[in-house]
Amino acid sequence: MESLITAAARALEAGDPLGALNRVALRNDAPSLALRGIAMAQLGDLAKAKTLLRSAARAFGPREAVARARCIVAEAEIALVSRDLNWPVKTLAAARATLAKHGDLGNAAHAGHIEARRLLLVGRLDEAERTLAELGASPLPPASLVIRELVVAGIAIRRLKTKDARAALDRAADAARLAGIPALTAEVESAKLVLDTPAARLIERGKEHPLLLGQIEALAASQALVVDTFHHTIRKGGIVVSLGTRPVLFALARPLAQAWPADVSREALMTAAFQAKHVDESHRARLRVEIGRLRAKLKPLADVSATKHGFALTPRKTRQVLVLARPVEEKHAAVLAFLSDGEPWSSSALALALGTSARTVQRALEELARSHKVQSFGHGRARRWMTPPVPGFPTGLLLPTPLLKT
Amino acid sequence: MKRSAAEIIKEYGPFAGVEAVHGVTYDGTHVWFASGDKLNAVDPADGKIARSIDVAAHAGTAFDGRHLFQIAEDRIQKIDAATGKVLSTIPSPGAGGDSGLAWAEGSLWVGQYRERKIHQVDPETGKVLRTIESKRFVTGVTWVDGELWHGTWENEESDVRRIDPDTGKVLEQLDLPAGTMVSGLESDGGERFFCGGGGRGNVRAVRRPRRS
Repeated sequence: MESLITAAARALEAGDPLGALNRVALRNDAPSLALRGIAMAQLGDLAKAKTLLRSAARAFGPREAVARARCIVAEAEIALVSRDLNWPVKTLAAARATLAKHGDLGNAAHAGHIEARRLLLVGRLDEAERTLAELGASPLPPASLVIRELVVAGIAIRRLKTKDARAALDRAADAARLAGIPALTAEVESAKLVLDTPAARLIERGKEHPLLLGQIEALAASQALVVDTFHHTIRKGGIVVSLGTRPVLFALARPLAQAWPADVSREALMTAAFQAKHVDESHRARLRVEIGRLRAKLKPLADVSATKHGFALTPRKTRQVLVLARPVEEKHAAVLAFLSDGEPWSSSALALALGTSARTVQRALEELARSHKVQSFGHGRARRWMTPPVPGFPTGLLLPTPLLKT
Repeated sequence: MKRSAAEIIKEYGPFAGVEAVHGVTYDGTHVWFASGDKLNAVDPADGKIARSIDVAAHAGTAFDGRHLFQIAEDRIQKIDAATGKVLSTIPSPGAGGDSGLAWAEGSLWVGQYRERKIHQVDPETGKVLRTIESKRFVTGVTWVDGELWHGTWENEESDVRRIDPDTGKVLEQLDLPAGTMVSGLESDGGERFFCGGGGRGNVRAVRRPRRS
């Protein structure tokens, strides 16, 4: 490899991006562009880094397929960290195949991890798991192992398998120590916090207390009737009644469960379900109809009986009725949940991750911004949204640096 | 043009603490290779590093009988092989785009990697005396018995080739196995070439075809 490129690559690997830039700042050949791109990424200028890496990939061309694929992987990682979820996934898959074909297994695995992280981010857990499985158990450098275990933990957490998550995070912590990269250790630590921070509130007979992820998992095995506001389901043991598509029925079920064993007045139920300020006869008629529907739905789990003032829940074969609610009930809790990773998101990426329209997300973000719960920077398509700085760490960049390695 | 598979006689390394080999030369006893911030002398008999000189060493290496020449960044350093002291430096012809280096007939021969060129350079002044065009990225240069050989790396393939120093025409080519990189080339004056193994951090001895 060339002299100055070697010198610049060594500077970059030694954590001296400015030293690397000094050596190749004025050069526009493919390896220089790639090194400049990675240096800019390490200095935090992701937009500039992306442009440089794209030019480098073009300059390498098909004759230098491996070097080109490494540039594409680096660009994809930058896209992931900047939450640009529309970045072409197929290009990454092709680059991954090229790297694997030419024996660069380390960077091929890195490409696979980027794919899996993206899938995890948008909630496609099965596909994320499959991508990890495809990579097999080939020996990986410690830094790659950390990323792999973080993805495994992320999948386990989303599936409420806290034991698996904790085991994966322990393995990640060991690997991070071996890698000796402080940013990775910090990322594992912050992921561990998720397991030790209340993830929900439990409301039982009018009293509430915070629940850890592990305790939520334990609920699934209990014999209590659980009204789950995360998934809009009502369940006990293995019986699950989903009301995700019936918001009115769920809005009735929740106050009934919260008040149990007491009853809930008709007025309170109508306010909760119909958001009506003044209730009239038509609301009363509608309430009767909806209660009838709820009764039919809940039949395997509970009865809804009329009382003097309203209605009450009568669970079958259990003396425990619980409501599982978000730690803070917020109108746009789902949007905030994604933003709480501390990364800048575009509204279109949020819409993709939430599976809703960009306009809906936009409205939610504007509302949250008015109450200072989120902030934005940039304009037009480059506009990004973040929560105000919280303790938590941005996803680290582990760009495929060694361009000269063969 | 004669073309054949390169016959690898022996491999040296990988060596502890060596990430990549950037240049190779031979002083009659030891094989010297550049590993970024060091020049290392390997005894070809046992494959162990006998001695190291702390000096910036990013690309080609050469030996003129008394001095080592080593490319670092955008210059060529002249090093006293006995003391390891840098005696003088001249600018490199490729301004940092340089790769291979050889010493022959009182001149330095410098490969310019992506430009696919070999420059003949005055070792005192750095003046370019003439330039030979190659067809592929040049990764190492050596002269032996009046033959000019250079290593190539392009499209994930490497070979060692003999070219006509006047026309640049390829006369003979030894193909290395796929994915095996040649970074740095030196002949031992006999039947061996020493080839740097790039990011594998090793040095290979490749048989030089016998003249019939």
